[in-house]
Amino acid sequence: MLEELLANVEKPARYTGAEMNMVVKEDAQVHFALCFPDVYEIGMSHLGSRILYHVLNSRDDTYCERVYAPWPDMEAALRNAGMPLFSLETKRALGTFDIVGFSLLYEMCYTNILTMMNLAGIPFRTDARGEDMPLVVCGGPCTCNPEPLADFMDAVMLGDGEELINDLVDTYREAKRQHLSKRELLKNLAKIEGIYVPSLYEPQYQAGRFQGLKKLESAAPDCAVKRAVKDLDAAPYIGNPIVPYLNIVHDRIAIELFRGCTRGCRFCQAGYIYRPVRERKKDTLLRQAEQLVGCTGYDEVSLFSLSSGDYSQIHGLVNEIIDSMRQQRVSVSLPSLRIDSFLKDDLEKMQSVRKAGLTFAPEAGTQRLRDVINKCVTEEDLLRATGDAFEAGWTSVKLYFMIGLPTETDEDIVGIADLARKVSRLFYQMPKEKRGKGLRLTVSASSFVPKPFTPFQWAPQCTMEELRRKQGVLKEAMKGIRGAEFNYHPSRLSILEAVFSRGDRRLGEVLEHAYESGCRFDSWSEHFKPEEWDRAFTACGLTLGEYAHRERSLDEALPWGHIDMWVTQDYLKQEWMKALQGARTEDCRKGCNGCFGEKHADFCQL
Amino acid sequence: MRIFANYEKGEAVRFISHLDMQRLFQRAFRRAQVPLAYSQGFNPHPLLSFASALAVGYTGESEWLDVRLERPMELDAFKNAVNAMLPDGVYIKQALEAPQETPTLTALTASALYEVRVFLKTPLATAVLQQGIETLLNGEIIVKKKTKGGDKMVDIRPQLLSMEMTETDADVLLRIMGLMNVYGALHVGLLMEKLVETWNVQGTWRVHRKEIFFEKTGVLPL
Repeated sequence: MLEELLANVEKPARYTGAEMNMVVKEDAQVHFALCFPDVYEIGMSHLGSRILYHVLNSRDDTYCERVYAPWPDMEAALRNAGMPLFSLETKRALGTFDIVGFSLLYEMCYTNILTMMNLAGIPFRTDARGEDMPLVVCGGPCTCNPEPLADFMDAVMLGDGEELINDLVDTYREAKRQHLSKRELLKNLAKIEGIYVPSLYEPQYQAGRFQGLKKLESAAPDCAVKRAVKDLDAAPYIGNPIVPYLNIVHDRIAIELFRGCTRGCRFCQAGYIYRPVRERKKDTLLRQAEQLVGCTGYDEVSLFSLSSGDYSQIHGLVNEIIDSMRQQRVSVSLPSLRIDSFLKDDLEKMQSVRKAGLTFAPEAGTQRLRDVINKCVTEEDLLRATGDAFEAGWTSVKLYFMIGLPTETDEDIVGIADLARKVSRLFYQMPKEKRGKGLRLTVSASSFVPKPFTPFQWAPQCTMEELRRKQGVLKEAMKGIRGAEFNYHPSRLSILEAVFSRGDRRLGEVLEHAYESGCRFDSWSEHFKPEEWDRAFTACGLTLGEYAHRERSLDEALPWGHIDMWVTQDYLKQEWMKALQGARTEDCRKGCNGCFGEKHADFCQL
Repeated sequence: MRIFANYEKGEAVRFISHLDMQRLFQRAFRRAQVPLAYSQGFNPHPLLSFASALAVGYTGESEWLDVRLERPMELDAFKNAVNAMLPDGVYIKQALEAPQETPTLTALTASALYEVRVFLKTPLATAVLQQGIETLLNGEIIVKKKTKGGDKMVDIRPQLLSMEMTETDADVLLRIMGLMNVYGALHVGLLMEKLVETWNVQGTWRVHRKEIFFEKTGVLPL
């Protein structure tokens, strides 16, 4: 039966499992389904899921299996055959698991969550699920504002999952042992630091605006505080990771250098919600690299963090890891390098690495705007970095920018083209013997989406009309730059992303409508149905504008106001004010900026 | 050192593609610490090639690969070390040493034997099934082939060397011998589509390659 289905879908290996290092367990008291709401190739590239798979399967009492969103052809095939969605490891029906956990990496995957639940026979809403249904939980960066999914999730995990997930499973087991009702279990889960149980609260609205959450249970905490792992050296990592057959997006070993970021770029949610910075020691990383290469056979290792150049032992690490990996013909890649920490000498060591192309992210076209967003890199930094790269033989460079940033003017937009023109001139003015043949300079822009827990969480997002107009301005300015190519396509997808990332619980109904009318894999352009989304909003009496394009006032209640990611709202307000004045905030490695207020002083190692 | 390895691609990995197989072997060799030889240049890759690709959904019990090593290794040690690192469904049955100057496996292949199990929606009488096979064997077999320039109508009869049927209780079993050399190869999938169309019935099938045959060399079993 399954055979026949697989023979008629694209890339059947998405559903067959049996990869090298896949965990097989006979006995387990708890069956946990780790669900990633996107296709296999995307889900398997997610490092956090690898960590949780390893942590859960290291427990004697738990068997964790993987489930990914079925591609539309597989969804249709399953429905036609009347078959439920199943796990890769044992082909077990998703609805028969004890705990179903979704990784929330991107708001535009939310419809896939509903697809997966529907194909498992699991009712969407938490109050429609009986005692015999799995416990449905979620984790990942989008949990910093979980409200759009709050009606569907029994429990939300905030922050680092390595320790928290064990607490969750322990509490679950204890509740089962005592034959507690689901309500009792949820109340116990709410006591765990790092868990938010939405059903214990009811959102209040007035005149179409969110006013706050009312506690339905007096024992429920006023605020849900995230968890953070203190010692990453001691923390579990990915064990013997599964080696996929299919070509996945990140098909290499990832070594996580550190979590968090000290730069304080004002648009970057990850930089704030993963604070404080916690590093792994160089020796830990070298040991991990050896072990992972040995048990997988991969030929590429990637050094991974939000800003790898900031790692305190970066030069030592790069030197030692390249040497140790070179003997085994394993190449080392170093993505996420800021322009101002560009490592020329290390680059030369990386000559053995495929010259796939270098990527830099100035994000804004003028120094003024770069200071507003606190990504303070200078034009000199960019020219020096690209100059070094060209001298080292690189001919392919990608520059990333955002359009629609707060306080942006047309002058800033044209500034992007000016930068590109200077980089191009730099290349072509070098004598031919010193550089490569032809320049491939790609200038890529995306539409800015204001995110919760950043200083820009109150900022209005530009409308589609505005974004299209700005695209026109930049296109015009980019004409005639030698070797340069320009990529910017404003999409309604960015607007929806802005809505869901700063939305409230009323969006749950919109999501259901969109799912019913066939919305799936919205982040894939071939599947995105903007008209259906518009209809869903209209049907629910809500507008995109009130969530995305409206400037929020500093004293209005935010739908994520009850979530504590350690960085205080006062600090974010302060940063927003500084941004509007174009004032910089220094890297906090140079001196504490007080982003946690009075708390967590013992945690921050810097 | 040059090794020709004979291996099986079984049920457990039926749905992986040829490219997936290449990666699979590369990684297994690395885990087993086989001293692979690499190509020169900016993007060195292991010197590994295959006699013929097996499509997604096909299994094969006697497939061949050609891998070069930097230093010699005992053939048994090679086989055992790699088998210990291969996932379920793939294993090396035999490893032979080949002289360095032997042509590539692709250049040496001549033909291949397939066993195809057919599952028909509605059962047909033996005579009818036999008639359908005769029809194809006695005439042209025109199929639509996808090429880079678009779809082309081609006659694949010349690549079909023989086809005979044995019927079991539940399904039909075919033994098909097809040409497989540098000039062309029998496209089993297109042949089966045509056959089922000729039988005027709905059906699905499973392809299993039993054997690959090579031109005479001193190395490979014929």
